[in-house]
Amino acid sequence: MIAAHPVIEVTAFGLASGATFALLALGLVLIYRTTGTMNFSHWAIGLLAVVAYLLLANEGVPVVLAMLLALAISPIAGIAAYRFVFKKVPRANHVVTILITIGVAQLFASLAAMVLGFKTFTRLPPWLPQGRVSFAGARLNTTDVVTIALAVGVAVGFLAWFRFTRTGRALRAVAQNREAAMLAGIDDVRSATIAWGIGSALAALALLLVLPHVAGKQGGLITTFDITPFGTLLIPAFGAALVGGLVNLPMAVAGGFMFGLVRELLVLAPKPWSDLRSVVAALLILVLLVLRTERFFVTAQEREALEA
Amino acid sequence: MTQHAVDLAPPIALPAGVRRRLTSAELAGLAGLGAIALLPIPFGSFGFFVGQFALVYAILGLSVVVVTGYAGLVSLMTYSFAGIGAMVTGVAMASWGWPFWLALPLAAVATVPVSIIVGVTAVRLKGLYLAIATLTFADALGETFFKWSRATGGQTGWVVSRPKPFVSDVSYYVLLLAVALGLVWMVTGLRSSRMGRAMLAVRTNEREAQALGINVYKTKLTAFLISGMLGGIGGGFLALLLKQVTRSAFQSPLVEATSILLVTVVVVGGIDRALGAFLGAVALVVQQQVFQGARFFFAYFGIYSAGLLIVFLLYRPGGLMQVARLQWRLIRARPRVGITVAVAIVAINVGVAWLFVRLG
Repeated sequence: MIAAHPVIEVTAFGLASGATFALLALGLVLIYRTTGTMNFSHWAIGLLAVVAYLLLANEGVPVVLAMLLALAISPIAGIAAYRFVFKKVPRANHVVTILITIGVAQLFASLAAMVLGFKTFTRLPPWLPQGRVSFAGARLNTTDVVTIALAVGVAVGFLAWFRFTRTGRALRAVAQNREAAMLAGIDDVRSATIAWGIGSALAALALLLVLPHVAGKQGGLITTFDITPFGTLLIPAFGAALVGGLVNLPMAVAGGFMFGLVRELLVLAPKPWSDLRSVVAALLILVLLVLRTERFFVTAQEREALEA
Repeated sequence: MTQHAVDLAPPIALPAGVRRRLTSAELAGLAGLGAIALLPIPFGSFGFFVGQFALVYAILGLSVVVVTGYAGLVSLMTYSFAGIGAMVTGVAMASWGWPFWLALPLAAVATVPVSIIVGVTAVRLKGLYLAIATLTFADALGETFFKWSRATGGQTGWVVSRPKPFVSDVSYYVLLLAVALGLVWMVTGLRSSRMGRAMLAVRTNEREAQALGINVYKTKLTAFLISGMLGGIGGGFLALLLKQVTRSAFQSPLVEATSILLVTVVVVGGIDRALGAFLGAVALVVQQQVFQGARFFFAYFGIYSAGLLIVFLLYRPGGLMQVARLQWRLIRARPRVGITVAVAIVAINVGVAWLFVRLG
């Protein structure tokens, strides 16, 4: 009834979808920094967890338990992809690495499509509490609020772990200078495995937060658009990662929320722009590419490590 | 700074006017090509339909060969370029009444503005960034250009007819064969040209290429531009193959899927050789079309082609071209074993295809 309310509601909505992008981008950047692989199969790896969640929920497993069990599927898939495929590719061979991530994306997306049985859409039961909360006069979806809180919590917890624990320091050392890290006794393969495992778990969490709740009270949907190798949300996640130059984790999280906000606030924009979400995302990504954001965040040494 | 470029050694230095005689390997390759070209005949009209499809994919595959195989940049918008080519051909022929032979060059040129916008921002950076930019742009084009009714003819698309002597499937197949092999020849020539060798140098090591005086930025942008134009040309021929082009094929998610398929086709064939695009298209597109009748096609073909992509990249990065070279070496070293293996491979493939056509 008052003009301020749609803005608050849309902002909450934007932050909720931004939370998804932030978690996806966090995983992308973690894997890229530690292993040098830009993971185009990120979406497909997360998708496997959603499919597992659906199967478990259909078997009558309580939804929250099903969600927690399903979370384990993506790290298994991601680590398997690393151990059996990416580990065998020389790190310097960027083209082959990208092409293989595309192959892995296609593989996992096709597997998901096969399990789901090629339906145009599949219903997903929600696992977050449904309802409304009042905030400054606006009524917000509980799922949005919980999604934002959960994503911020996980991101902060992860960043703290990455900064202060021994394993987190080891991963950062590998990113900065792999050879020196190995000489200092850090196991390169173990670090990469941890990065792939955590990155894939973050992708799974992101997808499990968004897909089962896209349709509000009715729960969620997986459409044919979601069962594609790159899904619908990988592009904004790349944009978010580019905000941090593909290497800076906190900035990738911030970028995720920024992309989410821009995407949803466009709904309030005048007519031609409100339909052009992917165009605005493309323009933003082009601007980020022109800015060459990575030079703000990496030391020359780390860039060498990533490029060599 | 290109005038200071150190000229890389040409592949074979021969005095002018001296004609090189074909080696036995090349003769065997030509015989193989001839056999492939005649392959549709025993399968009748279905054979020629599949053959046309494979040849259009071979042309589109050349686009991937130049940008990814030669210059080492991953592009995920090849099929969007094909879409631009197909739609421009459609609008020129159906709406403006242009003949095909005028519409086709326009289709190639129409890709240039898009290549420049994407290329200028992304090729300055590492190859990885072009992959992200092209993926983004394929999506964005689906929301803008491919929703624009005046360019795409609305939901029904454009209905185009083939030019005069190439109306029947057989004659159009012959035309496509000539065009595809002509383009294969040109892209092979590009590889040993100054620009092509600059691309290979950039792919191998950007810094060393720069040290040799190669303008890395210009080289990458040229590769991307040529790739876009080849995509546009392929799109023009695709429009005439289908006789009706509709925009949904060039919107998300179909467009990404087809662009990935094109990458797979080229990797399977041999990504850094023009002939590889041809071989890969023959191998994979024929399988795709033949198995399309089978149940569970999507998952089967998705999993199968993804598996092929991964396995080839890991164990035979040179694709079927490398396999053929190894096979030829085996035939030379141990003729009996080599020829038996070759005959067995061909027999198994033809047999499985024949069974599927009969049963499916």
